[in-house]
Amino acid sequence: MTITARPAPNAAPARLKVRKNIDSLSAQELSDFRRAVNQALDLNDKRGFDYFAGWHGVPFGWCQHHDALFLPWHRAYLYWLELALQSEVPGVTLPWWDWSTVASIPSAYSSAQADGTANVLAKAPIKVFNTAPKPGWPTETSRAPGDAPQVPGPPYQKEWAYAMQADNYTDFNQRLWGAHDTLHVWVGGTMGQVDWAAYDPLFFAHHANVDRAWRIWQTAHPGANPPADILGESLQTDPAMKVSQTLDVTQLGYEYAGTQSTVPGSA
Amino acid sequence: MQRWTSQALAVPPRAGWQRADLEFEGVEHDGASFVMHVFLNNPGADEATPRTPEQRYAGYLTVFAHGDCWGDVGHCDIPQPVSAFDRRPPHPLISFNATLEITEPLSALPDGVGEIIVTVLAFNKDDDEAGVLRFKQLTLLTYS
Repeated sequence: MTITARPAPNAAPARLKVRKNIDSLSAQELSDFRRAVNQALDLNDKRGFDYFAGWHGVPFGWCQHHDALFLPWHRAYLYWLELALQSEVPGVTLPWWDWSTVASIPSAYSSAQADGTANVLAKAPIKVFNTAPKPGWPTETSRAPGDAPQVPGPPYQKEWAYAMQADNYTDFNQRLWGAHDTLHVWVGGTMGQVDWAAYDPLFFAHHANVDRAWRIWQTAHPGANPPADILGESLQTDPAMKVSQTLDVTQLGYEYAGTQSTVPGSA
Repeated sequence: MQRWTSQALAVPPRAGWQRADLEFEGVEHDGASFVMHVFLNNPGADEATPRTPEQRYAGYLTVFAHGDCWGDVGHCDIPQPVSAFDRRPPHPLISFNATLEITEPLSALPDGVGEIIVTVLAFNKDDDEAGVLRFKQLTLLTYS
């Protein structure tokens, strides 16, 4: 991959990392990704998976839903988590689950076993960061796909197309969060509750696809940004990031395979 | 399943608008996640009603909600600002507005229908009969 961006005026051009469809990962790439998640799960400090999972719900509750910050906040979230995983295994990126075309949870996330051991992408422990567990809290992730009554299941091709037809950010954001909500509720279990969803590694494959949708739509609608009055707003992450900093994925160092990208030339 | 039926909402003549939205204002999301299926002028719609244009099905909205409160007493109470300089971000459980575009299903009604009654069937995993969907008001918005 030769896509590059120049992250700072005097820095050497950096190679963008590519987030790939989970179904296109090589065996080695998938194994590396699992290893990164496993290693991050073993860390009980601010480098650890559970710390990042806690941003979304228990115990920090920083996520943004059902408003204009939905897409920027989750883009920032994935950015910080991906860096943490790359600190564990250099080069890994967050794969995406294309629920607009795929009808079920990808086998990489549903097979009970992988690499001769329990598949961490299928079920992960929940250890809330720096917090004593309370009675009733889940101790591991769970799913119950299709069990929620009357919730349409994937593929969400029509919902995806409807979102892509939007000609402004507000409509696009609302339509995409609708499909996003439906998938969460369809998967069910801990994925179906805001407060616990991000402990499931599947969460990040889902949101990588949400973020990819935004990237594709942005490419088709240059300049169609979130409302001007929120561009300077700080998103609650650690560290914080402004909405304006989330608008260009190439400046965050990644790209999605299969989408367009404009990069500096050689001159 | 919870059924909710609206009072009549006025519909302007078809020639006067290009897009129509139903806006559910002040939707609460502090309980179980849920889905709501919406019908127009079909107050008898129930679980078994086909979700088809013939039954005036208008679409669905799903709400990814927070679930049970996991904190200490008061954790899920939405606080008021303690001072004019309170810059803390909004509480995560503040209600939101959910929009369902109904341009096509509303257009399919006879022109001059004058008004619609909205029926919502709301479902969550607990299969409640009440309290699944809680919101302040419903507005029909048309855009020319």
